[in-house]
Amino acid sequence: MLNMNGISKVYQTEMVQTHALRDFDLQVNEGEFIAVTGPSGSGKTTFLNIAGVLEPFTQGQYLLDGVDIGKLNDNQRADIRNQKIGYIFQGFNLIPDLNLYENVEVPLRYRGIKAAERKRRIESSLEQVGLASRAKHLPQQLSGGQQQRVAIARALAGKPRFLLADEPTGNLDSLMARQVMELLEQINRDGATIVMVTHDPELARRAPRNIQVVDGQIADFSLYQGNPAAVVGA
Amino acid sequence: MFFHYVDLSWRSLKRTPMVSLLMVIAIAVGIGITMTSLSVYHMMSADPIPSKSTQLHHVQLQTMDDGRDWWSDDNMPYQVTYPDAINLLNADLPYRRTAMIAAGFAVHVDDSDMKPFLERARVANADLFSMFNLEFIYGSAWTRNDEDSQASVVVISQSLNDTLFQGENSVGKTINLDGMTVRIVGVIKDWPTYVKYYDLNNGAFRDPEHIFLPFSLIAPNEIITWGNSNGWKAENVRGFQDKLKSEQFWVQFWVDLPTDEDELAYGQFLMSYMAEQQKLGRFARKELDFALRDVKQMMVYREVVNEDNKILVMLSFMFLAVCLANILGLLLAKFLRRAPEVGVRRALGASKTQVFIQHLVEVGLLGVIGGILGIFIAQAGLWGMRKSNDAYTVIADMDLTMLLSAPAIAVSVCILAGLYPAWLVCRTTPATYLKSQ
Ligand SMILES: Nc1ncnc2c1ncn2[C@@H]1O[C@H](COP(=O)(O)OP(=O)(O)OP(=O)(O)O)[C@@H](O)[C@H]1O
Ligand SMILES: [Mg+2]
Repeated sequence: MLNMNGISKVYQTEMVQTHALRDFDLQVNEGEFIAVTGPSGSGKTTFLNIAGVLEPFTQGQYLLDGVDIGKLNDNQRADIRNQKIGYIFQGFNLIPDLNLYENVEVPLRYRGIKAAERKRRIESSLEQVGLASRAKHLPQQLSGGQQQRVAIARALAGKPRFLLADEPTGNLDSLMARQVMELLEQINRDGATIVMVTHDPELARRAPRNIQVVDGQIADFSLYQGNPAAVVGA
Repeated sequence: MFFHYVDLSWRSLKRTPMVSLLMVIAIAVGIGITMTSLSVYHMMSADPIPSKSTQLHHVQLQTMDDGRDWWSDDNMPYQVTYPDAINLLNADLPYRRTAMIAAGFAVHVDDSDMKPFLERARVANADLFSMFNLEFIYGSAWTRNDEDSQASVVVISQSLNDTLFQGENSVGKTINLDGMTVRIVGVIKDWPTYVKYYDLNNGAFRDPEHIFLPFSLIAPNEIITWGNSNGWKAENVRGFQDKLKSEQFWVQFWVDLPTDEDELAYGQFLMSYMAEQQKLGRFARKELDFALRDVKQMMVYREVVNEDNKILVMLSFMFLAVCLANILGLLLAKFLRRAPEVGVRRALGASKTQVFIQHLVEVGLLGVIGGILGIFIAQAGLWGMRKSNDAYTVIADMDLTMLLSAPAIAVSVCILAGLYPAWLVCRTTPATYLKSQ
C-alpha cells in the first residue's frame, strides 16, 4: 500500500540545513502494523508526516495505493488525507474552541458525512476511548492523557484505512497505554494498516513489525520482525 | 457546512471580544458615515415624479441677441420672459402647460384672532395641478374661465387649510393675501416632493408652496416675484408694467408632452414662434435656439446633486476604506494567530477552499453585525443633518433601498478586507504546527 523510494527531506532554515530524512526506503503492505522507534530527532515524525501526505519531500518517490503523491496538487492531497488517512499527532492538536464531540467531528465534516452517521461514529469512538461522558467538555478541561484519547478517538471515527500514530501513548499511564494498544490492534485486525511511532519498547514489541529510524534512515528493520519472542529471550 | 462556518465564526468572535468589538465598531462607523452621505445623495438624485418625469418638459428660449452671454452651461437663460410666457400660454396647442413664478404674501383671514403671517406662494396656471399630479381633497382647480376673467381665486394646501380652517372644507371661503381678497376653490394635499424640481432657481430643497394663484392675476395685482429676475439688455424698467413688457427672465414654463412626437412637434412650434417674434424685432440673432428638458434632465442640468455632494460621498467612501485597512490589519493578526488550528484542520482533510470560505464567512458575519450597527449610526447622522439645516429636513432620510444596502455594502467591504488574510491563512501548510503543541 505504501511504497517509499529514496525519499529525502531537507529542512532549510536560514543558515542551517537539516537532513531529516535521507535516502529513505520503505514498503508497507495492506494490513500491516508497524512500530517505528528511534532516538529523538532521528526523523520519525518527519517520516510520518510525509507518509501522511502532510508534508512535501525533497527527493524520491512516494506511492500510496499506487498513486504518485509527489504529482498531486494541494486539493488532491487534502482529499487523500481526508479519505484514507487517520492521524494521532504527537501533540494532541485538539482545537481549543471545540468540545470533544466537535473535535472528533472535524474530519467527518470535511468528509461530508451526514449528521446522523457522524453522531453515531463520534459516540462510538468516544465510547471506545472511555470519554463518552465528557463529550461536552472543552479540551482544556481534560488531563493530558484524556486529550490524547480524544485525539485517538478523532482518528478512529474516520475509520481510516491507514492510521498514523505519533507516540499515541506518550501521555498515558501503562494501563491506559495497554488499552490504547489493544484498541489499535483491534482496528488493525479490522483491516486498517497502522504505522506507530513509540518510545515504549514494550509496545513496540507487541507490533508484528518494527523499524528503527536513526539519523534519517532506516537502521535495522529486521530486528524484531515477526518474532517478538526472540527479543524477550535475548 | 455554511451554518457550521457561521457557528465557528460566532465562537471565534466571542473568543476575542475586544478585537471583535473594535472591528465591528470600525465597520459600523465606516458604514454609518458612508450610508449617511449616500442616503442624502440617493434622496437628492431620486426621481421626484417617476410617473411623469419623462413627460413634463421645461422650456428655455434663447431670446438674447447675438453676442450676449449667459452663465448657464449651454448659454441658455434659465427662465423665460413674461411676454413669451403669455404667448406660449395662448398658443393653440393640445398640450397641458403652465407658466409659473414664486411669490409670497402676508396671509390673514377676516374675523380671526390669528396674526397675519408670511407665506410663499406659486402663481401658475390651472394645468399645474394635473401636470404635477397634485391631489385635491376639497374642491378643484380653477377653470380657464377664471383665468381669462382674472377671477380672484386660490388653491391652498392641506397644511395651510389646517392652520387657517382647522382642516374643514374651506371651499368658498376667502382669505386675504396682502391687500388682495381671494376665494378658495380647492384644497390639495401638500405637494409630495422633497426636491423642488419644478423651480430650481432658488434652492432645490425648500418646502413646496402652500398657496397657488392663477397666473393671470400677476398683471392686475402687480404680483412681484420672490424668485430671480435677470436682464441682459439695457431697458428702461421703471414700473411693474414696464417689467411685464421687458426682456427680463423671471418666469418658468412647463409643458406636458406625453410622447416623443409631441416633443418634436412642440420643438417645431417653438422654432416657428421664435421666427415670428424675430419678424417683430426681437431675437436679434443668426441661430434660433431653445431647450426642452424633462424633469430628470433638468435636475442634471441644474446640478441638483452638485459636485460637493459627490465629493462628500467619495470622501465617506475613502473613510470607509481607512476603516477597512484597520480591519484588514486586525484580521491579519487574528487569523495568523490561528494558524496552528488551521494546520490541524488541513491535516484532517480540509481543502484550502474550505479554510478560505470558513474565514470569509467569519468576516462576512462581522460585516453583517457592523452593517446593522452602521444603520443606527447613519440614522443618528441623518438626524443630525436634519437638525442642523432645514434644507435637509426632507432629504436626510433612509428609504428601504438604503436600509437594505447598508448591510450589503458592509458585508462586501468586509469580505474585500478579509480576502487577503483569509488567503494567507488558507496557505498554512498542514505539517508546520503539528510537531508539537
Ligand atoms: N520544520 C522544521 N524545520 C527545521 N528542522 C526541522 C523541522 N522539523 C523537524 N526538523 C528537524 O528534523 C529532524 C527530525 O525531526 P523529527 O521531528 O522528525 O524527529 P523525531 O524523530 O520525531 O523526534 P522526537 O522523537 O523527538 O519526536 C530534527 O533534527 C529536527 O530538528
Ligand atoms: Mg517526533
